[in-house]
Amino acid sequence: MKFSCNWLAELLGDLPPVSELNDLLTFAGVEVEGVETRGVKIEKVVVSRIIASEKHPDADRLSVCRVEDGSGSERPIVCGAKNYKPGDKVPLALPGAVLPGGIKIKSGKLRGIKSEGMLCSAAELGLSPHADGLLILDPNSPVGAPICDLFPSDTILELEITPNRPDLLSHQGLARDLAILLKRVPAFPKISEIPSGSGVPSMEVKIDSPDSCLLYSGRRISEVKIGPSPRWLVEKLESCGLRSINNVVDVTNFVLLETGQPLHAFDGAKLSGAIRARLARHGECFYVLDGQEIRLKENHLVIADDLRAQALAGVMGSSLSAVSGSTTEIVLEAALFDPATIRRTSRETGLASDSSYRFERGVDPCGVLAAERRATSLILELAGGRAGDPVIVKTAGFDAVANPREVVLRYSRCIDLLGYKVAPEEVRQLLAGLGLSLISTSGSGLETVYKWRIPSHRQDLQREVDMIEEICRLAGMHRIPKKTSGWYASGSDADDLYDFRLRVARTLAAAGFHETRTLALISESALADALPGLEAAMPLKNPMSSDHSHLRPSLVPGLIAVLDHNLRQGAGSIRLFEIGSVFSQDGQEHEQLALLVSGKTPSNLRQPSPEGSEFFDLKGALELLGIPGLRLSRKTSPLPLDLEVRSGDLFLGRIAALPSSRAKVLGARGAVFVAELGFEDLRSVLRGAKSYNPLPKFPAIVRDVAFVANTALRHEQVVEILTGAGEVRLESIHLFDLFEDPAGTRIPKGKKSMAYSLTYRAADRTLTDDEVAAAHGALVARLEGELGVQIRG
Amino acid sequence: MSVDFEALAVEAESAVSTASDFAQLDAVRVRFLGKKGTITTLAETIRSLPTEERPLFGQRLNALRQAVTAAIENRKAFLEAETDAAAFAALDVSLPGNIPNVGTLHPLTQILDRAVCICRRLGFALATGPCVETEFHCFDALNTPADHPARNEQDTFYFHNGRLLRTHTSSVQVRVMEKNNPPLRIIAPGPAFRRDEIDATHSAQFHQLEGLYVNRKVSVADLKGTLDFFFRELLGTGAELRFRPHFFPFTEPSFEIDVRASGLGDRERWLEMGGCGMVDPAVFDAINKSRSDQAFDPEEWSGFAFGIGLDRLAMVLFGIPDIRFLAANDLRMLRQFAV
Repeated sequence: MKFSCNWLAELLGDLPPVSELNDLLTFAGVEVEGVETRGVKIEKVVVSRIIASEKHPDADRLSVCRVEDGSGSERPIVCGAKNYKPGDKVPLALPGAVLPGGIKIKSGKLRGIKSEGMLCSAAELGLSPHADGLLILDPNSPVGAPICDLFPSDTILELEITPNRPDLLSHQGLARDLAILLKRVPAFPKISEIPSGSGVPSMEVKIDSPDSCLLYSGRRISEVKIGPSPRWLVEKLESCGLRSINNVVDVTNFVLLETGQPLHAFDGAKLSGAIRARLARHGECFYVLDGQEIRLKENHLVIADDLRAQALAGVMGSSLSAVSGSTTEIVLEAALFDPATIRRTSRETGLASDSSYRFERGVDPCGVLAAERRATSLILELAGGRAGDPVIVKTAGFDAVANPREVVLRYSRCIDLLGYKVAPEEVRQLLAGLGLSLISTSGSGLETVYKWRIPSHRQDLQREVDMIEEICRLAGMHRIPKKTSGWYASGSDADDLYDFRLRVARTLAAAGFHETRTLALISESALADALPGLEAAMPLKNPMSSDHSHLRPSLVPGLIAVLDHNLRQGAGSIRLFEIGSVFSQDGQEHEQLALLVSGKTPSNLRQPSPEGSEFFDLKGALELLGIPGLRLSRKTSPLPLDLEVRSGDLFLGRIAALPSSRAKVLGARGAVFVAELGFEDLRSVLRGAKSYNPLPKFPAIVRDVAFVANTALRHEQVVEILTGAGEVRLESIHLFDLFEDPAGTRIPKGKKSMAYSLTYRAADRTLTDDEVAAAHGALVARLEGELGVQIRG
Repeated sequence: MSVDFEALAVEAESAVSTASDFAQLDAVRVRFLGKKGTITTLAETIRSLPTEERPLFGQRLNALRQAVTAAIENRKAFLEAETDAAAFAALDVSLPGNIPNVGTLHPLTQILDRAVCICRRLGFALATGPCVETEFHCFDALNTPADHPARNEQDTFYFHNGRLLRTHTSSVQVRVMEKNNPPLRIIAPGPAFRRDEIDATHSAQFHQLEGLYVNRKVSVADLKGTLDFFFRELLGTGAELRFRPHFFPFTEPSFEIDVRASGLGDRERWLEMGGCGMVDPAVFDAINKSRSDQAFDPEEWSGFAFGIGLDRLAMVLFGIPDIRFLAANDLRMLRQFAV
């Protein structure tokens, strides 16, 4: 909300500088979101009247004006603007004036013609960022009057008022709080009594929905003259960002800004019969001021006459009974509505106003009728007319909220919660300063119990803890000591999961993969990038944009989007992983690990990139994690490669290759591989404790075997033949060379060369060469016999 | 027989010191100490000397042998050092080193881990809760009933089944208190979602570190001490904190936490890092109602809660100007955060 410092100063006296005010408000819990200045603060700029104007003899674009400056004499002024006519009143900067840009006004000659001052635009006075031509003033402005009287300078504070403090949503409300901080007594305008017995006919008011409308006051004011508002009123409204409409509507808005109480004025002639606060009928029509027509629901509260809804209660009036230039009789409404009802009505109709903003946060129940009297007397003052007596209907609900509340505060509770022994006298002073009155004190020392009466404008102070908050706020957080107390915390499963996640992330980073964090919300079109069978996603009901419309069912679409981004930036070798939540179509969530590989293995000066090793970079990362019994099996799939990943028999997830058409669209060089594994399952297979294996006591003997085989021969077949022989001395099998010659010169096409190192060892003795030669020979013969490979010299 | 041992010594020394490689040095060794070398040959003549001359001759010959042997060893060491030095003289140490192809951890992971480590030192254990939440856990139990002005549906992502994406990690507080008895001390990092216009400082998804401590007589002083410790550990002992009174439906009193420290951009500027406060008794009441017991009796237990914006923390600590950069995962940026 916008607050005018001039207005606040009227209530509080001169204010401290803005920076000081900023600190005061900040530590009182009111955030200063912006500060702007308004109006003109320049001296020697006055209202002048242009008597005549003629073209400059030596310059096409200039004219020479004769102006009246209020001193009785005339001045010649050379001027470049074109938007005026003789008789207009415009600002005149007299010699000696200094304009906001630092321009000093002097008498002089412009192209040989004397010019004693300068006629100003709004921009030149700092009233507007840009302006076309001179600022044409109100014809009623007195010639010679200082411009700062017409545009008084003001500082406007844009404050964020938290929802618990609706009492601060007015100048009087803020002044009341500032007065405590500044240790002053605010002076609010006296409200004059409205004489009764004016003879204006009474009216009938009924509350049909006492849960939603707690208090309603209607007052008929006859013979009003609708017209423009006086300057002071326009100025106040404009300083707070409101537009002046007419004297009556402006008064209601003014009183809202002054007291926080929303009011509404109906054109009395447009109402027929009794005024009724009732719930809307289903589908009932309501005509909004801008010509729009909306349909209401049964839980919306309206203010109706005998025929139709004339206001959406607490939100806005209908266009049918709006005060207009021809209005002569008004009905002034002041009411107290249930906050939840107003909030619901406003939310469901999509209509909001300064009134609904205040009603839904709660207004001072005891301020309603005072604000009504304030508005009535201002209307009588500005629009004339005769005021009838108000017709006031109060409900039991009103009495409940208007009766002063009493809240108990235990001193011990206060110092326990604050962790600071604020003195009892200070507690009393601070609360009394807020307008609370002490009803009784019982007990003594730490056991002191106070009973306080809460003023009606502080509807937020309901409980003991609310008062402790006020004490904390007003005493100042800086006075509360810092205390730390550690304790022993047993690790939770979430701790274990966190540590495991970090371990996996570090291992994958060590394997050359970069961790990504993509958003859980993805677009519908991105779902096509999920692995087949994982495309079903839960859509948002109210997405903000089509880019973020579904909860991701898979991490792969996010990784592909990152791939896309990085390919566009020219990246060649891309290795990514992400650990994050994915969501099923019904919103169940679980964590997954996904990896993506695109482009060659990164090379360096001394190690060129191997060809075709992308898949093995991905597989190697999974192997590095130490998944026991890692098994990959092909499954039928629309994808060119789709593998099920298992640890033993436990299904962990999938590895797949994107279709080449998709990879091509992305601009990837070569195949793109992705993997997606269930993270909890991964955790379950990697949970095993580490343990020590005794180191071998006797040396090993290593023998190599190299052979040429058909390219279709798989490594696992070789391993199976070697291990299937039952050779207990065979400790390990290591494939150290794999070679194909596409040219067919070193080995024929369709063949490949494989070379293995076989390690032999016995646990209880040193093996002899002869023993190993026999065992190795047998295995080599088995390879030849079973697999038909051709052993190389 | 008279032998000029001095002349021999001078001759040997000169031969050794002029040997410029291992082959020449070996030739010198053979010349003096070899089977037919000068000194070996002289040693064989000792038997032909008169008995009285033998001891002196023997002594002088031995001294010569030792001197020559030592000189050869010295020269060898010198030549070795020279060869070693020559071997590396040609090494272009400016060539790039062999860096293993390691990846990186995302900056958010790194900042989170620093934060988690600090909290663990303070005795906080981790907790988790779902992103897809019920209105009860996200709002109602947190003292934000349906018609509360702070419950802004406009800012919340909903699903057709009435569930929503949590707008803060505070929902985890409710989850934890439903299942555990006081005292408890937890942190819960995770994503939260707001239906905001996306710009340099707003994203549909952001990350928070939630904290909750419930015990007997937990006070504002505990809250202040804990967060002060946390930020000083994270940002250095020069970090300053201020607590601005604020409003959250689920804490009372409530504060926003501002921090300033060197290394966080403008040293003089306060940066908002999150919110905190004392758990509102209404939250305990809602938990008790949901549990159907009085485990969190607000007369017995009090607590504090905080929520720290991790994206914001990463942005100010690393100087990342736009929150969208964190979700773009540009490798050129990720590589700047190598572990």
